[in-house]
Amino acid sequence: MTQADDHNDDVTLAGEYALHLMDAAQRRAFEARLDAEPALRRLVVEWDEQLVPLADNFAEQTPPKAVKARIDAVLFPTAQKPSWSLWRILTGSAVAAALAVAVLVTLPLDRAPTPFAPSLVAQIAAEDQSLVVLASYAPDTGILRVDRQAGAAPSGRVLELWLIAEGAAAPVSLGVLPADAVTDITLPADLIPAIAGGTLAISEEPVGGSPTGTPTGAVLAVGAVTTI
Amino acid sequence: MTTREDVENMIQRVGLGDRAAFSALYDATSAKLFGVCLRILNDRAEAEDALQDAFVRIWQKAGSYAVNGYSPMTWLITLTRNLAIDRLRARKGGAVDIDEVHDLKDTGPTPEAAAVAASERSRLDGCLNELDADRAEAVRGAYLEGYSYDELAARFAVPLNTMRTWLRRSLIKLKDCLSA
Repeated sequence: MTQADDHNDDVTLAGEYALHLMDAAQRRAFEARLDAEPALRRLVVEWDEQLVPLADNFAEQTPPKAVKARIDAVLFPTAQKPSWSLWRILTGSAVAAALAVAVLVTLPLDRAPTPFAPSLVAQIAAEDQSLVVLASYAPDTGILRVDRQAGAAPSGRVLELWLIAEGAAAPVSLGVLPADAVTDITLPADLIPAIAGGTLAISEEPVGGSPTGTPTGAVLAVGAVTTI
Repeated sequence: MTTREDVENMIQRVGLGDRAAFSALYDATSAKLFGVCLRILNDRAEAEDALQDAFVRIWQKAGSYAVNGYSPMTWLITLTRNLAIDRLRARKGGAVDIDEVHDLKDTGPTPEAAAVAASERSRLDGCLNELDADRAEAVRGAYLEGYSYDELAARFAVPLNTMRTWLRRSLIKLKDCLSA
């Protein structure tokens, strides 16, 4: 077999895959190769793009309304837990809800001798209290102390903390919360001005945190930062 | 009029968990994608289930859209078509149903042409026309009806291995023509 033969084989296989001609076993074997071979993936994308003009023959048909309702019920079982989009929060409609769950917490300031003297706090809580995290920020130290009082990450996932500055265009990650209930996060200098008046939120993400730099999983809890 | 950029933008926002964008994407593309499911499955209830599968998958996979190299409608149509064919194969269990033959030549292009440049369409048509007519029809049947090798062999009344050879040679020819 020459290299050209091998290439032609891959072109053919990629075409058979794109047309969905392979049986289930062949398809699985080919998909295992796709995971490992970017060049093969490109061949499949190329076929899909080149064949897609045939899709003009699929005549449009408006689906019944019930289908969208079923999809929403599968994806967003609202009775279970809030999975608000941070974008919704940013666009204001959910800000009231976020504020409603954020309660002013009086910290035991006389807990001497700790030098940690917070002036800003937020209770980041799920609507049903299934996840409650108390965050407090002490300007003298630059430390944001995060105390997970209830709840945990779903199995196989991690909790990631986000800061949405007042009027900001996008949330900024403050990192993945460790398994420990209490953790101290040293805020980067450029984020310190953003914390007052900001909103903190926790999403569930793949292990290692959001791969994109923005939340990819459900937003489990939110809380506005308030002054004490 | 929804442009390619609009659809791309919606998919990217869906990837960030934006439900409003998800609804907008559904409104803009569900008729096309339901058309894909209906044609492949030829059964309304099953097509509705396949469309549901597709949009659940779209919600879950939109975050990886930006890196997969697809144009937006190709990504949506390919994902939907594959799920519909998976469902078709599961239903048929490999059996060949020779009675519901569609005349492939009967169905002309719909006015819905926004997703695909006309030049790409005529290029593909031109290259398909360079194949023998029945082989071009086999390629169209695989794409539009989700026919397997078994079904194609039965429909064109040739042995399975002959159909495989036909299709594979046609794919090589098609690729050469499309890449020329």
